[in-house]
This record gives sequence, structure tokens and C-alpha cells, in this order.
Amino acid sequence: MTDDERLAAFEARIARGEKIEPGDWMPPEYRRQLIRMISQHAHSEIVGMLPEGGWITMAPSLRRKLVLVAKVQDEGGHGQYLYHAAETLGITREEMIEALHSGKAKYSSIFNYPARSWADIGVIGWFVDGAAILNQTMLARSSYGPYARAMVRISAEESFHNKQGIEIVLALVQGRPAQRAMAQDAVNRWWWPTLMMFGPHDSESPNTPALVRWGIKTRSNDELRQEFVNQTVPQAEAMRLTLPDPDLRFDESTGNWRFGEIDWGEFWRVVGGDGPCNRERLQARRAAHEDGLWVRQAMAAYAARA
Amino acid sequence: MSDTQWPRFEVFVQERPGRPHLHAGSVHAPDPEMALLNARDVFVRRPECASLWVAPSATVRGGTAEELPQLLAAARTEPGTSSIEYLVFAKVEERGTLTHVGEVHAAGPETALAAAQAAAGATRPLLALWVIPAERVERTLPEEAPSMFDPSRHKPFRDQAFYHIQTALRRLRRDPSAIGHRQSVESKR
Repeated sequence: MTDDERLAAFEARIARGEKIEPGDWMPPEYRRQLIRMISQHAHSEIVGMLPEGGWITMAPSLRRKLVLVAKVQDEGGHGQYLYHAAETLGITREEMIEALHSGKAKYSSIFNYPARSWADIGVIGWFVDGAAILNQTMLARSSYGPYARAMVRISAEESFHNKQGIEIVLALVQGRPAQRAMAQDAVNRWWWPTLMMFGPHDSESPNTPALVRWGIKTRSNDELRQEFVNQTVPQAEAMRLTLPDPDLRFDESTGNWRFGEIDWGEFWRVVGGDGPCNRERLQARRAAHEDGLWVRQAMAAYAARA
Repeated sequence: MSDTQWPRFEVFVQERPGRPHLHAGSVHAPDPEMALLNARDVFVRRPECASLWVAPSATVRGGTAEELPQLLAAARTEPGTSSIEYLVFAKVEERGTLTHVGEVHAAGPETALAAAQAAAGATRPLLALWVIPAERVERTLPEEAPSMFDPSRHKPFRDQAFYHIQTALRRLRRDPSAIGHRQSVESKR
């Protein structure tokens, strides 16, 4: 078969809803896009442990602490599922970890924002995990089998992350005025960065057409962003929290909540490495890897015992 | 000592007794014992596991429907090799994963694949097929199950059903006065 015939057969398989499995023929660009997406997704889970991990020892009750430990553990596990899915495409774990630690690899820019108060832990679960679940539910229908299966598992586990976050915010808005103010402040800081999580507008997103054609993504950035806004506005209203967008209004004709323009200058600055915590996050990752060296050495010595 | 991520082990999870083991993914570990522990931490943080198997990825022979004809063409009887047991895993549904479907005895991996294809593929087309020498599969023992898997049963807060968010939001919509009139909630818990 020529490459053109192979490509036609491959695209026909995707059109029939078949899953592509490791070892199947795939266009080099499909493989490249998947490695890029899945490894970025894995790095995001791993770096995503950092903003919340810092609050484990400051959780306001034992129950909140147990829940937060479980959530951060899940994120570590999700990073592992995703590294596995990327490895099935031929990249090694060493290469991916090296790319993260050298600053070459990207991860979701949301994790370059700081978690300043306990209310941030609530709002991260509510907004950031809420947004991630929409994206991951879409990716669970992706054409690449190992990625789709990892996403099914991750989406199922993450609905608890979202709900525990909303529960924290619910407790704060029903508390003292200072607690309400803390919740409102966290909402003000996380709203716009969360909308940026879905990525550039479809018209500005260079990867989207190929990803949609090959069934890696089945919905566009703007569609997912709109669904997130539509599901979140009524929740904020119920809790009497204000979303920091003067242009936010309900559009009767479409049934959508219209929102103001995102500050794309900020988005590209943070993606480019100049966000509030980019350097701190990478330093923490490198330090964790170096500090864990003795554990890896001890495990290797145990495995090598006679 | 070079700082590597160690060899890969494929992980198979049995969700309930009597159900087949399903391929869940892989972990890296320096030996099979630690691969089992890593597999538990990575794949079994929820209470739906009765048994775990791990096998070095390098011991897996097989591939997708696209690759199988070529692999099966290499099947031959290795002279002087005695027959050993292989576990057979097949993927039969697009949305499914590799699933343990039985065992074959063969003198080599290609012969095992051919026998597995004949047995598992007799009634329906296989989307993927693996064989792994049974002796290379490390398994949790039934007596280890309580210490391996029971801790997750005592963590109901990992389940989204533990939280009653919709009820709380409905109550707030009905009675907005609940907002801003209560004492500190967090510090009382």
C-alpha cells in the first residue's frame, strides 16, 4: 500500500468510529499531535498537584484534609495513566520528564496561578476541575484507544474533585462576611484564567482542524468554553457570587450566556513562561525529582538483592 | 547508577471476583513485587478491585488486527523447546480493552499466538491479541487482598455520591437568607 492508500484506510477507520490502537498504522502527524497533547495533559496533572498540595497542612478540618490528600493523590495517578498512554506512541517516560524539567514541555497555564487562600481550593475544584471534566469527557470519545480509556477513568474520578470544591465554596458563602469575601475574591481571580484553559478561539487555534478531522477532539475550544460558562453562571447566582465580567448576560435567542473578551495578551504571556508562578512550579518539580533520587536508588538496590 | 524510570510492566485489574482481568495500563518498577504495589497505587484508589496482575512489557507478544497476520506468519514449532503455558488477552469491542480470555500451551510465543487466534478468534474477529508466559505474570494472592484493596473501601469521600451539591444549591435558590447569616461553618466542623 502507498502512504496515500494507508491514510485513506486510516481515515475510513476513524469515520466508522473504530479506535486506533498502539501498533496500528497512523499518519506521523497524528502520532505527533497525540504525543504533544497527551504529554502536556500528563504534565498538567503532575504540576496541578502543586497549587493545592501546599494547602494540605493548612486544611481547616480533618475531613477537608483527607479529601484534599485524596484529590492530590488522584492527580498524581492521572499523570501516571497519561504518561502510560503517551508511551504507547513511542516516546519514553525519561524523554517526557526531561522535557518538563528543562522547561521545553508545556502544561496547562492555569497551574501558573497561585492558590492564595483556602477559598482558592474551593474555587479550583469548582472552576478548574469543572472545566477539565468538560474537556476530558470530550476526549473520552477520542479516536486513540489508550487516550480514550485513560479519559474515561479520569473523568469518573474527577467528578468528586469538582463536587468537593463546590462544597467548600458553599460552606464559605454561608459563613461569616469575611468568609464570603474570601470566596468572592477567589472567584474574581480564577474566573478569567479558567476561561483561558480551553485555549485560543477556534479561529486562532492552529491545531484544531487536524485534531477534529482525526477524531482526537470532537468539540472545539469555543464550544466547550461556552458550555462551561452556561453551567457555572447559575451555580454562582445560587451562591450570590458575582462573576467578574460586566458584559456577562443571557442571550435569549441562543440560550447561551454571552461573556466579554478574554485578555489573550495575558494568556500568551503565561503560556510563554511569564506567569505568576511559572518559575516556582518548575523549580518545585525539579526539586521533587532530585529529592526523590535516594528513594529510587533504594528501590533499585532492593530489586538487585540476591 | 543511572537515574532511569525502570522497565515497564503491563497491569491487569479484576474488578470483582469471577470477572476477567482487564488491561488497565502500565507502570514502571525495578521488580515485579514493586510493580504490583505501584499498580495498586496508580490504578486502585477506588474500591473496585479483587485481584491485580502485572507482567513485564517485554514478555508480551502480540498486536492489533492490522499486525496479527504478519506475527502469525512467523509461527513455527521451535524444535527441542518444551511447551509452556501462556495467558491470552483479546480485545473484541471497539470501546473495550484487552481482556483475559484463557490459556494456551505452546512451545513458543508465535505458536501460542496462532493457537490463541484459533481459539479466541473462532467466533468473532479480534481487534487485538496478546499472549504472555504465565510464569512471568506476578499476581496478588487472595490472602493479600484485604491489605492491598480494603483501605480504599474506607474512603467514601473519593466517590462523587458522597457530596450533595445539587441539594444544597436548590436549598440556597429557595432560601437565599441562608447566605451571610450563619456563624463560621468551616471552623465548627
